[in-house]
Amino acid sequence: MRKTAIVLIALLVPATPAFAKVKVVATLPWIGSVADEIGKEQVEITTLVKPNQDPHMVDARPSMILATRKADILMYNGLDLEIGYLPILIESSRNPNIQPGKPGNFDCSHFVTVLEKPVSVDRSMGDVHPLGNPHYHYSPARILSVAEGMASALSALDPSHADAYKANLATFREKVRAKQKEWGALPTKGKQFVAYHKLFEYLAADFGFTITAYVEPKPGIPPSAAYIEHLIEAIGRSRPNGILTTPIYGRKEVDFLAQKTGVRGVVIPHDVGATPGAKDWFSFMDQTLSALVK
Amino acid sequence: MAACMHMGGPMKIRCLLVLLFSATLVSSSFGEDVESRLKTLEDTTKAQQQKFEEQQRLIDELKSSLGGPSAPGAAETAALPTPSKPVQTATPGQEGTTAKLTGIFGGSAMTNPYLSLVVNTFFYGSTLKQKELDSRTVPGFTNVPVDVRKGFNFDSAELFIFAPVDPYLTLYANIPVTESGTELEEAYFVTSSLPGGLQVKGGKFKSGFGRINGQHPHAWDFVDAPLNYRAFMGAEGMGGEKGIQVTWLPELPIYLQLGIEALQGENDQLFGADAKDGPHAFTIFAKTSMEIGDSGTILFGPSFIKGKANIPTVADNTTFTGNTDLFGFEMVYKWKPSRGTGFILQSEYLYRKQTGDLRMGDVADPASTVAPLTRAQDGIYVQGLYQIERWRVGARYDVLDLIKKDYILSGSQQSLGKQPWRATGALEFNPSEFTRVRLQYTRDESSRDGKTNNELYLQMLLGIGAHAAHSF
Ligand SMILES: [Zn+2]
Repeated sequence: MRKTAIVLIALLVPATPAFAKVKVVATLPWIGSVADEIGKEQVEITTLVKPNQDPHMVDARPSMILATRKADILMYNGLDLEIGYLPILIESSRNPNIQPGKPGNFDCSHFVTVLEKPVSVDRSMGDVHPLGNPHYHYSPARILSVAEGMASALSALDPSHADAYKANLATFREKVRAKQKEWGALPTKGKQFVAYHKLFEYLAADFGFTITAYVEPKPGIPPSAAYIEHLIEAIGRSRPNGILTTPIYGRKEVDFLAQKTGVRGVVIPHDVGATPGAKDWFSFMDQTLSALVK
Repeated sequence: MAACMHMGGPMKIRCLLVLLFSATLVSSSFGEDVESRLKTLEDTTKAQQQKFEEQQRLIDELKSSLGGPSAPGAAETAALPTPSKPVQTATPGQEGTTAKLTGIFGGSAMTNPYLSLVVNTFFYGSTLKQKELDSRTVPGFTNVPVDVRKGFNFDSAELFIFAPVDPYLTLYANIPVTESGTELEEAYFVTSSLPGGLQVKGGKFKSGFGRINGQHPHAWDFVDAPLNYRAFMGAEGMGGEKGIQVTWLPELPIYLQLGIEALQGENDQLFGADAKDGPHAFTIFAKTSMEIGDSGTILFGPSFIKGKANIPTVADNTTFTGNTDLFGFEMVYKWKPSRGTGFILQSEYLYRKQTGDLRMGDVADPASTVAPLTRAQDGIYVQGLYQIERWRVGARYDVLDLIKKDYILSGSQQSLGKQPWRATGALEFNPSEFTRVRLQYTRDESSRDGKTNNELYLQMLLGIGAHAAHSF
């Protein structure tokens, strides 16, 4: 009797496509990477933004609409980082699963404590992120919270694999904790850096260094020649431990400042995949921290 | 409430509450049992305080679970020393206060819709006199001159309002305020939860016909609409039409959007407000889009609109009644390899056929005559824009009577004069995403009489409020 049942199940399993993979659409590469750690073989991930794109300046493209059209769950950074393309994608996709308020609309920022929430903000301050600094993917503790949120969201959508998501989360948690120790031991504390954009605030908060000045006079506003002159003078005087930038955003200006002042330019990947070795969130953080302490 | 709590502590809140409630008491009606009210008040305050304490405990717990490896609470040093201090940063204890910022009048985002205002103003210079401009038409196409003054012009301050109505519908409205008053350009709902890739739009909206037609003038790549738009639909395009639209995005490996519309049909160059009782303009369109490499996108597709016409815009002192067919084909290529570099090549071909009767003179006038008229005419524009950081240069060429130029009155082809065309160059500076300054020069040869209009525009576009997403 029992044997028959097993045979029956074995026969049934390949014939039943009922356990189709959960279709996850992630806006940014780091979100796709973390979702992959939690979902593993239970999910099929499409990442919308390419690692060489500036996440602040993404235009909606037809392939993005096609991907969101079929999504079971849309995972995004939130804090208005995707404001330039996500609302149009959600509307154009006509996908009821991912509309705001639905379980398939997953805002990762709901799971993190946000830094730099402005008390008052207007656009005379530049293109300030009005809901707070959205670049929290450099914070291991926050990524862990996001991963926890993902595990429960995926379990809710796909209850038959809830145990798998739970197990994947446990593995991920252990790996993050171990890495936190390793990264925490690096000599980052007390250091002072100048940064191009307000991108590294969470990194500074988690790893105990300070950012003393920005190359952008205001967020999103490129520096004028006069401002660069002023920075050369200021950086030359204060001699910070480095000038932080990313491969695509402010690289030119930082290279110029580094050359003029002799202070090291530090190129940090802005997301998973932005530099050749940063293939997942862990190696992205490895590269980030090793660039800092180099 | 929670916000005050974070800043001032429970004691302060309690005092405040008591003060507030006592004030209410004083001003409330006489004869009330003050004793019992005070008692209720005290109970409420106590209950609220308990709730606050619980919430605080929860917040503290959550915070400690979030603490980084190096320093738990390192995250609390939010305010970093910067020389320019662009944003006043909140300390974590004040987090609750920011909730107030999401709404417009101090409420939450839920009670206030998203609002934005776009101001479009320009200076206009021309080699022609104002009197000549006021009578400058495109003979054979339209008798409507462009409404501009030499010198300073105020186009509009456009108010945009949008918000989800409920989980099923989103409402959009666009209200341009001009010097002559307020219009309702658009007010429509869009469905968000229909199955099968379907979407319904209804109310008053810009038709999905063509490309520039669906955009608001401030989103155009030049100050004015191209000549074929002006000739067939008017200087503002078709404008908001009352009706309903159904679009479908079938599940295919390529992007393909199919749409149909039933419209009241009131555009005064295509249909005319009193062409027929009830809706009489019907649209069908398809838009397909593909990606070419990592940075390129191409979009193209045909559109067709058909309706009854009753219009005074063929020539002065005439009325045309009959049928209108307008066919369009749009093509856009976008190349965006990096943040600071981009190129757009865009073109639309329009072909309009009208058959019916042209009455010359007033209907009431016994001397007025009627003659059969067929207009089968076309036009195209081609434009390119290249972006380098915050600058953009653009060029446009538009021409009418490209392949078809039939204007057959009483069976005989009319000779209307020279072929209308224009050439335009523009330079834009975008100091931020919310400001655009545009200098545009146009050589306009559209009046068929050989009289050139050399035009110069200096335009300023400013936007405040909610950030509207860019469509592709
Ligand atoms: Zn940013």
